[in-house]
Amino acid sequence: MEKALIALAAALAVGLPALATAYAQAKIGSSGAGTIAEKPETGRIIIILEAIPETMVILGFVVAIMLILQFA
Amino acid sequence: MILDMLRIAVWGLSSDRSRIVKVLHDLGVVHLVQMDMKHQNKEPSSLKSLHKMRNLLLGLIEALEWNSWDNLTDEYLEEQRKFIPDFSDGVLKALQESLEEFNERLNKLKNRQIELKTQMEKLRRVLKIAHHFDSFWRSEHDKGNVVGFWWIYETNVSRLLSRLKALEPQGAGSSFETGGLRYHIAKLSESESMIALAGPPEWFSDVEEMMQEENAVRWTPPEEFVVGDFLASVKHMEELYEEIPRELSKIEAELKETRDAWGPKLAAIYIFVEERLEEAIVERSAKTEGYMFCIEGWIPEVELKRTISALKNHFGSRVLLMWRRPKDTEWHEVPTALLNPPMFRSFELFLKLMPPLRYTGIDPTLLIGIFFPFFSGCMVGDVGYGVLIAFAAYFIKKRAKSKLWADVSNIMFFVAFWSVAWGVLFGEYFGDVGKRLFHLEPLWVERSHVVMPVMIFAVSVGLGHVVFGLVLGFIQGLKGKRKHVWLEKLGNLLILLALVGALVTLKGWLPREVFVSWGIVLFIGVVLLIVGGGIGALAESIGAIGNVLSYVRIAAIGLSSAILAAVATKFLDVLGMSIFGLLLALALHLLNFVLAIAGSSLHSARLHYVEFLGKFYEGGGKPYKPFSRRRLKKWKKR
Repeated sequence: MEKALIALAAALAVGLPALATAYAQAKIGSSGAGTIAEKPETGRIIIILEAIPETMVILGFVVAIMLILQFA
Repeated sequence: MILDMLRIAVWGLSSDRSRIVKVLHDLGVVHLVQMDMKHQNKEPSSLKSLHKMRNLLLGLIEALEWNSWDNLTDEYLEEQRKFIPDFSDGVLKALQESLEEFNERLNKLKNRQIELKTQMEKLRRVLKIAHHFDSFWRSEHDKGNVVGFWWIYETNVSRLLSRLKALEPQGAGSSFETGGLRYHIAKLSESESMIALAGPPEWFSDVEEMMQEENAVRWTPPEEFVVGDFLASVKHMEELYEEIPRELSKIEAELKETRDAWGPKLAAIYIFVEERLEEAIVERSAKTEGYMFCIEGWIPEVELKRTISALKNHFGSRVLLMWRRPKDTEWHEVPTALLNPPMFRSFELFLKLMPPLRYTGIDPTLLIGIFFPFFSGCMVGDVGYGVLIAFAAYFIKKRAKSKLWADVSNIMFFVAFWSVAWGVLFGEYFGDVGKRLFHLEPLWVERSHVVMPVMIFAVSVGLGHVVFGLVLGFIQGLKGKRKHVWLEKLGNLLILLALVGALVTLKGWLPREVFVSWGIVLFIGVVLLIVGGGIGALAESIGAIGNVLSYVRIAAIGLSSAILAAVATKFLDVLGMSIFGLLLALALHLLNFVLAIAGSSLHSARLHYVEFLGKFYEGGGKPYKPFSRRRLKKWKKR
């Protein structure tokens, strides 16, 4: 039971930030595509903006790994 | 590396103006300074003729549908240049006349082609209708009946038929059903039908009236195809329908021959006209004072000797070249010319997505060339995938026609090298295939089993990379004497140092007594940061810590890739050495390979753009665009 809870916690640690990242990237991506269409020179800033939310899921992954390694 | 630039001014006699501009054009190293428009004279008629000629040539090339710009070699261009050594008024006039004549003949051919295609389409539609009704027409015609055709809306057909049935002429001796008035219907589309009615001629006045009431339109074959009666016309149309494709293929062959023979020639003339136009614009906008004129610009210092000797050889003492280093006030005007070792030049591609590098900035190409494949290879971390990437790079290199793809393939070779190197360290050869078949062991760790060391390594590399970026930013601030920049970067560096030091001390790797000193370092760092960038800079400092942690993605993506590769091989364990098992394993390896290439390059690029370059890269510069022949090969990029 305890192991199952740890696994659930690890899954949530990755899953929830993944959903949040997906939501944020979808919003940024659609707006960014429109911006680049009008101003191609904004490409770099859009890539940066698109990449920023990814950190959430990466950190979530680290937390999940640590949970599993520490407690499982 | 950013090349040192010199500001030059070329003074010459107005009578030498064209020739001096031509020499500079051939030399191809001067980045011309924006000309002062008030010096410009009214556009001379020769320039107008050149513009007209260029547009005519472009129109002809498009009309010929010639697009083999990539096949134009320098040798071919130079050979063609001999036929048009200059664009004097006489040459321009003769060229214009022959091009217009060529255009006229080409238009005639193209118009005939369009006309035939239109006729063909018309015939196809008419014959489709005619073939529906020719047997009906023949049988009715033999009986001495008149046959008429009408377009009619599908919705009106049933009503029309019942009205026709009711139409029974007095004393005709026959009825609709018994063949007095006969019909045949063909459905042309969802909403339209064609009805053919046959009957004695005296009935047709009533039928015509009824058809009008039902919004039906009388149809006859187009006049140009009518010869004699309906059947004769159909036969004629069938003959035409067979003949037109033959004529069309003749025209097509003639057009192809013209395209192959004249396309490259017209393209070469187009390029010469463009070059001449560029020269003419420079000549026109050069500063003129009395009998002298002056052209100003920037050249890389390494090109100075070549420029001097070229001008001296052609004009001796009739030209004056002055040069100086940029003043402090004009840094923002100096164009940025990059010169990197040939093997790293492909990495300049990464700067294309950034605003142009400032002349006083630091060229990150070499650093990207070192770190990008290193990170990317670490994420892939598989000998087998590395070899496949090398094959893919070789394939792209062989096929690449544009510089972009040549650069991409070169970058892929670097990634392949590091993928193999990391693969050896992680002991991965298509996942665990190497281990299973050849008992190959990792030189360092098996990353799918030992996660933490790889993650710690990734974060450590990230720390080094971010610190390196901050150091470069600090040096740049010092060089540019921008106090707020170097203070801010130094503050950030000290904060990172204090945090790492504290962590190391807590781990017990340093004596506990030094813990306080890390607090002092942190305090100094925060003070410097606030002095340099204000309270807002504190947020950036937190961002820098986030940036370091962000490098953990190298381990995370690598781990997912390693696990996927291992899962692919597991299929063979579960399903045995069957075709199905092999196919599934190969499919998963293929998916993993694609993900590995896409994911590793994207994330590695992101680490550079966001985490690394953000620390020191300064945009807002002017890219170096020398006044040269075939500048940037722009006609190849059309």
